[in-house]
Amino acid sequence: MQQHATLTEGTFINEADLKSAAKPRGRLLQRLLVWFSAAYFTGALVTDLAYWQMPNVLWERFSIWLIVAGLILAGLAAITYVIGLASSRQIDGPTWPGVVGYAIAALLSLVNAFVHSRDAYTAVVPTGLMLSVLVVAVLLLTGLVGSAAADRPRVGG
Amino acid sequence: MIHAFKTARSAKLPRLALLLVTVAGLGLAGCDDHAADPKMQIGANPVLPEIQQYLMPPMRVAKVVGWGKDENPAVAQGLQIHALATDLQHPRSVCVLPNGDVLVVESNGPKGPINRPKDIITGWVQSFAGAKAKDANRITLLRDNGDGSPKLRTVFLDHLNSPFGVALVGHDLYVANTDAIVRYPYEDGQTSITAAGTKLTDLPGGPIDHHWTKALLASPDGSKLYVGVGSNSNITENGIGAEYERAAIWEVDRASGAHRIFASGIRNPTGLQWEPETGKLWAIANERDEIGPDLVPDYLTSVQDGGFYGWPYSYYGKHLDPRVEPQRPDLVAKAIVPDYSLSSHVAPLGVAMYTRTELPANYRSGAFVAEHGSWNRTPLNGYKVVFVPFSGGRPSGPAQDVVTGFLDADNHARGRPVGLAVDHTGGLLIADDVGNTVWRLSSAHPGSVSSIR
Repeated sequence: MQQHATLTEGTFINEADLKSAAKPRGRLLQRLLVWFSAAYFTGALVTDLAYWQMPNVLWERFSIWLIVAGLILAGLAAITYVIGLASSRQIDGPTWPGVVGYAIAALLSLVNAFVHSRDAYTAVVPTGLMLSVLVVAVLLLTGLVGSAAADRPRVGG
Repeated sequence: MIHAFKTARSAKLPRLALLLVTVAGLGLAGCDDHAADPKMQIGANPVLPEIQQYLMPPMRVAKVVGWGKDENPAVAQGLQIHALATDLQHPRSVCVLPNGDVLVVESNGPKGPINRPKDIITGWVQSFAGAKAKDANRITLLRDNGDGSPKLRTVFLDHLNSPFGVALVGHDLYVANTDAIVRYPYEDGQTSITAAGTKLTDLPGGPIDHHWTKALLASPDGSKLYVGVGSNSNITENGIGAEYERAAIWEVDRASGAHRIFASGIRNPTGLQWEPETGKLWAIANERDEIGPDLVPDYLTSVQDGGFYGWPYSYYGKHLDPRVEPQRPDLVAKAIVPDYSLSSHVAPLGVAMYTRTELPANYRSGAFVAEHGSWNRTPLNGYKVVFVPFSGGRPSGPAQDVVTGFLDADNHARGRPVGLAVDHTGGLLIADDVGNTVWRLSSAHPGSVSSIR
């Protein structure tokens, strides 16, 4: 993979890239955590929309558990990020817009978890639903900026 | 894989993240309460502030310390108090039999399900207030020898299911478990019952059973039983389907066990009494939480046959609760305003109308109410027994503190008052489920009171 990239991009393999290629496992775990948490937060938006249309407590309960599960994974992702920073091998770590965007989404979700812990209708409508929309919007934006940055050819690291 | 560029800026990110966390933390912790003086909410016209919705609802429980040796609650002038029995297991209610024997119901709620992450947190916090204390699920009999110390203490009835209300009609003793009314045969002077009970009727119980206590009161002619059945949630967060025949006072026919809803929309009617002058049914009720330190006031009210008292759609008459959807304007239109506010979150769990003459003259006509105390309000409210004077069958003045000192100077709970009953000598019995004691309140000058005043 690294070699293929090297050929098409026309860059060179430096020492740091070799290091990261030698230890890809932690990075994969971090990505899985981020992706799954984003999927949970998105799922919460879907169940919020369902509750908004049809206020059955079932949907509200789905939402709060999805948000909490997403927050737990986000917390674990943050731990792997800090470990990566501390171990100074974080050369293929996440981009800074990715980190900021994801952190904002996670913090909004934390607020959303509190809103969703209210009792009955106002746990979702309107504040909880709006926060869920906002979280997914921030995640989408972060993903778009991230992939745009990833598509940009590297010039000199 | 193509890796995105890295810069030295990434080192600054943790600082930014820390800042964001701090800001968010301030936002969460910044929900200040500004609770008003509870006196503004005592009586027929409580001041009702605007609804406040929390990000993080306040949980303020009084840490349990228990009663020290020779420590007693404080009492109003002209009264004295002593412990009738100690070392009980979470006594919740008391009932006096015709021969003067006292039944103490030692009970606690069933373990509720975890439907939301919040249930885990709430359960954990409330465990500090003794709410999850071990219970015996039994009734203990105390026989007083006249000087205050019980000469006899036996297990009267065992292996019950979260019992609360007890009523005796003739030789039929009714126990309101959380899920059924059970009848036992009782002979005068009996100190324990071993006979199997007969179920009169099922009551709404598990699996959620949010408000589990079932208050019980027999009609004066003994033909009917009235049962206080609390709601299955704070404010329908378990779905309206879970509220079937709950938040209501049932009228149960004693002969057949058939029931009808006597009154509805009363969130948690924890105590029932007959008002002696008018013969009307009165109830104490615990109102909803999480919309502010001064909403919604708990109350004492007469109960009208067929009356609707608002829950869940509205409170104190027609004040809509935005947390309930879909709303029911047809029901809100006929919502009755309760008679007498006790102020917010005091948690009245016991009521006793006083008709005797042994206590000082100012307690001659009225209702004693035990306020178990708040768990979600700063400053704490309740944790005392008050007296609401009645005149002409209606409350006639502000509630007076009668028994206080359940909290110590550090706001730790030495005890919390629950069930009340008037004993055969005219004293007031107070179950204390955190202090594991039954207290007996009497006149400081016994014998002289009724003749002199």
